[in-house]
Amino acid sequence: MTRKESTVPRRLHFEIFRYNPEDSGSVPHMQTFELDEAPYMSLFIALNQIRETQDPSLQFDFACRSAICGSCGMMVNGRPALGCRTLTSDLPRTIRLHPLPVFKLIGDLSVDTGTWFRQMVEKSEAWIHSEQAFDPEAQEERMDDELAQAIYEGDRCIECGCCVASCGAANLNADFAGPAGLNRMARFLMDPRDSRGDADWFEIVSNSDGVFGCIGMMACHDVCPKELPLLEVYAYLRRKVLTTKIRH
Amino acid sequence: MTESIKSAAERARDASNQLYFELASGVSGFVLALFMWGHMILVGSILTGERGFNWLAGMLEDYYIAQPTVVVIFALFLVHAVFASRKIPAKLSERRRMLELGRGLSRSGRDTPAGSGSEAFQPHLESLLWIWQVRTGMVILVLGSFHVILLGIDVLTPLFGERTGIEALSSMARVKAGLWLPYAILLISVEFHAGVGLYRLAVKWGAGSFLSRPILHIIERVLLWFFLGLGVVLLLVLAEVLPPPLAFLLSAPVT
Repeated sequence: MTRKESTVPRRLHFEIFRYNPEDSGSVPHMQTFELDEAPYMSLFIALNQIRETQDPSLQFDFACRSAICGSCGMMVNGRPALGCRTLTSDLPRTIRLHPLPVFKLIGDLSVDTGTWFRQMVEKSEAWIHSEQAFDPEAQEERMDDELAQAIYEGDRCIECGCCVASCGAANLNADFAGPAGLNRMARFLMDPRDSRGDADWFEIVSNSDGVFGCIGMMACHDVCPKELPLLEVYAYLRRKVLTTKIRH
Repeated sequence: MTESIKSAAERARDASNQLYFELASGVSGFVLALFMWGHMILVGSILTGERGFNWLAGMLEDYYIAQPTVVVIFALFLVHAVFASRKIPAKLSERRRMLELGRGLSRSGRDTPAGSGSEAFQPHLESLLWIWQVRTGMVILVLGSFHVILLGIDVLTPLFGERTGIEALSSMARVKAGLWLPYAILLISVEFHAGVGLYRLAVKWGAGSFLSRPILHIIERVLLWFFLGLGVVLLLVLAEVLPPPLAFLLSAPVT
C-alpha cells in the first residue's frame, strides 16, 4: 500500500529448487531466475511469468488462484505458504522456493499431497459412521448453532499441506496424523451424527501417532493460510482424551 | 477371534499409557517449574545476609521440610527426564532436519521489506524454542543432577560445613571457589527451560482459549527475566562480589 508504483520496480532474485524424479539424469539443485517486480505480484504470477518467458520445464501447481484449492503450497524462504496468496511485495528481494517437505515430490515445486491426505483420512476413518438407514424423506436432525459453527470451522481446511510441512513431528514420523489429521479427527469427534463414541475415539486420539505425537512447536497454527484455530483443536483433543479416561 | 480381542485390549492399554506418559511429563514439569521459582525465592534469603539464610535453612531442616523435598524433587526430576525425553528425535539426521525447519521458520519474515502491509509473514519462534528446550534440558540433566546430589548430601549429612544441613558459609565458599560458573549456566538453562515449558504446557492444554498467545508469551518473558535477574544477583551475593542488599532488614538485634 505504501509502495509507490512510480518507483523503479525491484529486480527479484528467485532461487528455485529443481529436480525431476522421473528423469534419471536429474540432480537436485537450486536454479536462479531474475524477474522485474510488478504491483500486487503474487508468487502465482511470478512463477507463471518465469515459466512463460524463461523456462517452460518449471513444474509447479496452481488451480484456483484464490486460496481455496490448496494446490500451491510451497516453502517460501523456509516457511510454508500458498503461492497464490503470497505477494512478492511482502518478501525480500531474494526469494527461495522449495517444494513442501513430507509429501512425495512430483517435480521441482510440485508435490503429491493427495496420497498423504488419503492415508490420513483412511487411518482415522474420517467420515460419518452411522448405523441408521438413510431415509430421504426424513427431516435433517437439528444441531446446536454453536456446534455447527465449530464443525464448520474444522471443515474450512483446504488440505494444502502447509501445516504438515511446518510440523517437526510430521517431518520425522510418517505415521503421525499431523495437524490436518488431528483437525479432522476433532471435527468428527464433535459431530453428533457420527455414531462413534468418545471411547472409540480414545484409541485413535490418545496415541503417539495421534494428539500425543504433537510436540507443541506451534508452527502449524502460525502458517495455516486459512487461519484455523489448530492449537485450540489439539487442546480440545487433549482435554477430551483426559475426560474420557476419567469417566471410563 | 481371541487374538483380535486381545489386540484390541492391548491397543486400549497403549492408548491409556500414552495419556499417562503425557501427564507424567507435563505434571512433573509443571511442579518442577513451580518448585524452581519457590527455590529461587528461598535462596533469596541470602539477600538479607548469612544470618537470614542460615535461619531459613535451619528452620526448613528442623521441621523436616527440606529432607523429603530433596528426595521428591530428585525423583520428579528423573521422571521428567524419562518422559519428556521420549519426544526427542533419536537420529542425528532427524535432529538436523528439525533444526533446519526451525531455523527456516524463525528467519522467514525477518527481512520483510519496510512498508509491506502484511502481517502474515511474522517470524515463527516456537519451533526453535522447542529445540533450545531440548538443549537446555540436556544441560539441566547433567548440571542439575550434580547440584541436587551435592545439596542432597549437604542436607542429609554433616559432610559439608560444621553441621548437617545447608549453611551460608559453606555455600558461599563453594560458589566462590568456582561453582559460580556451572551455577550460572544452570540458572540460565533452568529459567529458560521452565519459562518456555510452562508457556508450551499452557498452550497445549488450552489456556490459549482464554489468554491469547502473545499475552502468555509476555507473562513467560516477564517471569523469565525476573528470575534470571534475581538469580544473577543471588550468585553475585553468594560469590561475595556484592554485599547482601537487604542486610538492613536484619540489622536490628533479634530478641
